[in-house]
Amino acid sequence: MFKGVWATLVGLLIEDGQLAIGALVALAITWLLAAAGGDQTQEVVGWALLVMVLVLVVANLYRAGLVARARVSSARR
Amino acid sequence: MDPVTLAIHATPAFVASAVEFVEATTIVLAVGVTRGWRAPLLGTVAATAALAVIIGTLGVAIVTVVPEHLLKGVVGALLLLFGLRWLRKAILRFAGIVAIHDEELIYLRELAELRAQGLRRNEFDWVGFLVAFKAVLLEGTEVAFIVIAFGAAGGVALTSAVVGAIVAGIFVIGLGVALQKPLTMVPENSLKFGVGAMLCSFGVFWFAEALGMTWPGDALSIPLIVVAFLGVSWLAVRMLKALLPEGAQLEARNV
Repeated sequence: MFKGVWATLVGLLIEDGQLAIGALVALAITWLLAAAGGDQTQEVVGWALLVMVLVLVVANLYRAGLVARARVSSARR
Repeated sequence: MDPVTLAIHATPAFVASAVEFVEATTIVLAVGVTRGWRAPLLGTVAATAALAVIIGTLGVAIVTVVPEHLLKGVVGALLLLFGLRWLRKAILRFAGIVAIHDEELIYLRELAELRAQGLRRNEFDWVGFLVAFKAVLLEGTEVAFIVIAFGAAGGVALTSAVVGAIVAGIFVIGLGVALQKPLTMVPENSLKFGVGAMLCSFGVFWFAEALGMTWPGDALSIPLIVVAFLGVSWLAVRMLKALLPEGAQLEARNV
């Protein structure tokens, strides 16, 4: 059981670490925006978080794709 | 609450929980078929009891002690973190970079491993008990997480999420008992894609609400957010397929 929990944690923080850290940064920025901005800013923080997360997903997967391509290329050599 | 409203609200939790129940059922079936049913069934019952205690104590304590906006913030952040992990893996699977989740293959692998461990007729089968216990507890924790995600608004949402998860459990376990083989007909990979997008969407929704935002149309914004996640995910799959040279997907999995 502990092995399974450990695997999930490792997967989240190490295997997908950059994505997890990026998501935490996006959450922190959203929180700062809501805390520092006025009422109008507060009404758009959700959309700002959504956009940040979507950009993060694409950027992370683009990098994963580049790594996979590099691995295929070196394996073919 | 009328049955139609209940059905509409319970469907997301039903779909998401069904995926988890399929995974647990596959493992319990593999143990039962190879080593007999007594130990895995006891393991399943013990894990269910452990889950009930964990949810009953921790869940109630959290809901009663933690202020609502803080709870929504923490649940939202956790949902986003876990949802992103699911979504990323689903996108990589659809792009061919990670192998598709195959219940038949997992079942056969589990059978081989359990057979290799041997069985003494006169002793209680602790291996079978622990394997089933672990599978049910881990997948059950994810079901609990899903119920919290879809029921975080409380009231009708929570009742519907609980009903959806229970019906999914009865449905999947019933199907597993009736067929006595892995439930390969469930489109698990597609469902996981959808569930990942839904968890992320609920995460964004709850976190922003915790910060004081009022979404236009309230919960009606959620389908829009889900569509945004699904749309970007589809684009990401296309991007990954374009990045890898033709026929390289299988190689990418193995290197």
